[in-house]
Amino acid sequence: MSKTAETMIEMIKVSKIYPPDVVALRDISISIDVGEMFFIIGMSGAGKTTLLKLLCSMDSPSKGLIEIGGKSINQLKGSKLARLRQKIGVAYQDFKLLTDRTTAENIAISMEVSYKKPQMIRNRVRTLLEQLDLADKHDTITGELSRGEQQRVALARAIANSPTMILVDEPTGNLDATTTERVMQLLTNCNKAGATVVIATHDQSLYQHTSHRVMELRKGQLHALAETGGKTS
Amino acid sequence: MSFWFTVIRQVGRNLRMTWGSQIMTLLTVSLSVLIFAFFYLIYTNMLHFGDKLGNDLSLIVYLEEEPVPEMQQQLISKIKAFDDVEEIRFISRAQAYQRFASQLGKNQDVLNDIPKDFLPPSIEVVPMKNLRSLNQVKLFSAYLARLPGTTKVQYGQDWVERFYYFTKLLSIIVLLSGTLLILTTIFMVAYTIRLTILGRQAELELLKLVGATNNYIRTPFLLEGLFQGILGSSLGIASLFVLFQWIKLHFSGPGFLNLFEFSFFSPMVGLTIIGVSILLCTLGSYSTMQKFLRI
Ligand SMILES: Nc1ncnc2c1ncn2[C@@H]1O[C@H](COP(=O)(O)OP(=O)(O)OP(=O)(O)O)[C@@H](O)[C@H]1O
Ligand SMILES: [Mg+2]
Repeated sequence: MSKTAETMIEMIKVSKIYPPDVVALRDISISIDVGEMFFIIGMSGAGKTTLLKLLCSMDSPSKGLIEIGGKSINQLKGSKLARLRQKIGVAYQDFKLLTDRTTAENIAISMEVSYKKPQMIRNRVRTLLEQLDLADKHDTITGELSRGEQQRVALARAIANSPTMILVDEPTGNLDATTTERVMQLLTNCNKAGATVVIATHDQSLYQHTSHRVMELRKGQLHALAETGGKTS
Repeated sequence: MSFWFTVIRQVGRNLRMTWGSQIMTLLTVSLSVLIFAFFYLIYTNMLHFGDKLGNDLSLIVYLEEEPVPEMQQQLISKIKAFDDVEEIRFISRAQAYQRFASQLGKNQDVLNDIPKDFLPPSIEVVPMKNLRSLNQVKLFSAYLARLPGTTKVQYGQDWVERFYYFTKLLSIIVLLSGTLLILTTIFMVAYTIRLTILGRQAELELLKLVGATNNYIRTPFLLEGLFQGILGSSLGIASLFVLFQWIKLHFSGPGFLNLFEFSFFSPMVGLTIIGVSILLCTLGSYSTMQKFLRI
């Protein structure tokens, strides 16, 4: 990665306070480059999910500035917001799958909203399902899948539309070591293809040997404690 | 192209999900179109019929005695002082007798013992076409009755009056059924769309999260209203047409209906009714969306 990389995510003194006075995030300042892979770790309740929600503008910060690709998203609305969201793939912690639809339909949704050709959607869905070892679940209703399978479907939906920014919340919570390996491989591939990837997790195995930046959230505050060499910027 | 593909697919999903109430709406829409169109059809035919009657409308002013030419000029100018008229014909006693005799035809001999001047002289006034509305005819006849030397004025009062009130009543019914049409279409369509939206809440939320534009979310619902409008109103008009043909077939021949010579709408009117229903249905779906989609 070049030293003059553009900034993808810029957060300046961002706080999130849930009513009445739950401080989920406090004065978060961070910038993440285009094409970077970034880990957010922290205990349960530390605010990881809240942070990701702010980044995909599912929620708005109580204070502070958030910029994606150089543009503030604080006041984004309507078609501009829609277009931004099309470029962000999110794998939610609670999956948000349509449990009465098939796996393929669930994955296709993120591509349909940007009007991709049906042929292209079909191909992409097949490839993703193969990469995630779900090829035989193509036509299964997602409500009938196991947690681990649902998790992978949610991930597939997040990356299907080849977004420039991928936010993953606890991607391997219900997975065994081998499948975790597969998932991480897929995310690494997306990252190599140029996508900015932010992963929130408390699974040590994911970030133990990584050369990427790792930051820890503690009670809503960010600590650059777990930085492991490899990358200087 | 992929836009319409995805949109149509969503409409298909919606229809499958709430097909029961969709059909109910469809029937309600077509029934209200049918009711409205039915009364409107009768109304237009009545107006048409009234037009034809009006063409033959003339006022007959009976006179005390035969006017001399000078007096005729005076009467003409007096009549024209009220309003311009199409035609004024003086009918002498002799002419009246002649007419009556020719009407009797073969039975003329009954007149043998009667003096040839037993019928009063009269003036036949054919009013201008614009004088056809009942109020004016009434005023006109009152005016004529006050002219010096007239005994009475005749124009089929009873009949004209009754016809007038009948069409008045019909126009009120048309208005009422029109209002009914507007209310049912808007509310029923709005109601079913609301059902669909509530049933798909989770999906709509997700669609917003993955970046669906407002148009992407809205268009299927608008189309749904549009389809309801097209299908419902076409069905209504079509069934009225069938009903019309059936009545024509079974009640034609010498009788009441032949007098009227009923005719169906012109295609233009039919299309207008369909167009307005489509507009109403789309409006119904649009208003619910504004309320329930919050986008
Ligand atoms: N909608 C909400 N309303 C009120 N409080 C909330 C809401 N969402 C989160 N919180 C609170 O904010 C804090 C951070 O929650 P968050 O979900 O971000 O934690 P997390 O780091 O994702 O935890 P986990 O690892 O368990 O997913 C928690 O104390 C939580 O109770
Ligand atoms: Mg969380």
